[in-house]
Amino acid sequence: MRALIFSKRTWKEIMRDPLSYIFCLGFPVVMLFIMTAVNKNIPEEAGMHLFEIQSLAPGIAVFGLSFVMLFACIQVSKDRSTAFLLRLYVSPMKPSDFISGYTLPMLWTAFLQEIITFFVSIMIGFTADVSFQPIRLILCLAALIPAGLLFIGFGLLFGSLLSEKAAPGICSVVISVVCFLGGIWMDVDSLGGTLAKICHVLPFYHAVHAARIVLSGDFGDAGTSIFVLLLYSVLIFLLAAFVLREKIQKDLR
Amino acid sequence: MSTAIEVSHLRKEFRLKTAIKDISFSVEAGTVFSLLGVNGAGKTTTIRILTGLSRPTAGDAVILGHSISRELDLVKKISNLSPQETSVASNLTVRENLEFIAGIYGMNKAKTEENTNRMIALFSLEEVEKSKAKILSGGWQRKLSIAMALITEPKILYLDEPTLGLDVLARKELWNIIEKIKEQVTIVLTTHYMEEAERLSDRIAVMVSGEIQAVGTPEELKAQTGTDTLEDAFIKIAERGNVVCGH
Repeated sequence: MRALIFSKRTWKEIMRDPLSYIFCLGFPVVMLFIMTAVNKNIPEEAGMHLFEIQSLAPGIAVFGLSFVMLFACIQVSKDRSTAFLLRLYVSPMKPSDFISGYTLPMLWTAFLQEIITFFVSIMIGFTADVSFQPIRLILCLAALIPAGLLFIGFGLLFGSLLSEKAAPGICSVVISVVCFLGGIWMDVDSLGGTLAKICHVLPFYHAVHAARIVLSGDFGDAGTSIFVLLLYSVLIFLLAAFVLREKIQKDLR
Repeated sequence: MSTAIEVSHLRKEFRLKTAIKDISFSVEAGTVFSLLGVNGAGKTTTIRILTGLSRPTAGDAVILGHSISRELDLVKKISNLSPQETSVASNLTVRENLEFIAGIYGMNKAKTEENTNRMIALFSLEEVEKSKAKILSGGWQRKLSIAMALITEPKILYLDEPTLGLDVLARKELWNIIEKIKEQVTIVLTTHYMEEAERLSDRIAVMVSGEIQAVGTPEELKAQTGTDTLEDAFIKIAERGNVVCGH
């Protein structure tokens, strides 16, 4: 119950910050329009399909989730920098209430963001004579859940470890890594070499890849990507929960 | 009158410093007890230990029959703190802040609304109840901060430098409120201001370098030191304490 009350407060804090609308909801939509416009100017003979809406939408969905990480991180580090948490530490709240109270509203934000991203993608698809099968969209949303947990985990981890000033900087680095090594803006599979190997070791490529192939209906190696992604998500989220718990207990020593 | 707080041989050591050195005192129920001292005297550390924000290195305190070492969960339910820094949820309105804290302490909807309305009336927050906390002045924020501590109906209320940084009018207004609520709750107050301690306190403990140098009513402290004002009494006690502590 306390976790729900705390999550309601965190949700209000996020929704009342105009930056949430700009970065969490607006920016992915703007990127969808920009990259669709870019795609129209790529000649057919270039054989570049990355920015076609059915490939672009899952990539932008993962890109958007990286901003949920930024918001989780900012919220936790901001709370830690004020005396607000002191008041909650003297209350009967437990560390698990804090972890759930931060995670639930972030999951809800991620879900809303994905719905808006795919809704706009469907609208863009209409203009390009591309349709999305509802069942594949639902499966794609499900495949993005571990990615959502992964980014929320990163956000909680950085927010627990870093100051209010340092945390957003580190998140920006991760967002850049997601963009370049996740295969959102370039075809990682055609790269080969060490760079491709690095991409395959990191979870971001698997997040984008899993969402893309599930949406395409060609489930091929989706299992491998989803397994790697799930493994990373569980590990990072557990690490974040452990670090946040340790930070709270350290504050109380 | 019964004892609300019994502190026995409390000690707190940090890596490079001993913040509290074996202090003992008791606070009677329904009174205001002030901890007076210069910066670094150990006032806030004492409050942190009594509220469960910090663990003692040695010793114990019993709050209305519950030990802070063994029954902290019970202690947390019957006490609350208004920290030194204003601690409010910045994007929530005044009413939402109060409702949020009431919910965290397990109050149902009806009780939450009743207590929120009571706090808004007691602290005269009507004109700002729909304003976000972040746009309030320091005085309003401090009033809200104390109201957030009092809404949970604590038996013990800790006020850590409640008027620090406030202008004279806001300070006087808060004193009036504290005088009003002291009938309902035992208050432990830390302050730098002698006038505040003298006006509000039933008993005062003067802390110097982590030790309690004197305890008594304002009049008793003045009599002990042969001075006419609490400020002079405090200076004498603090200087004596510094000599004893080797400063």
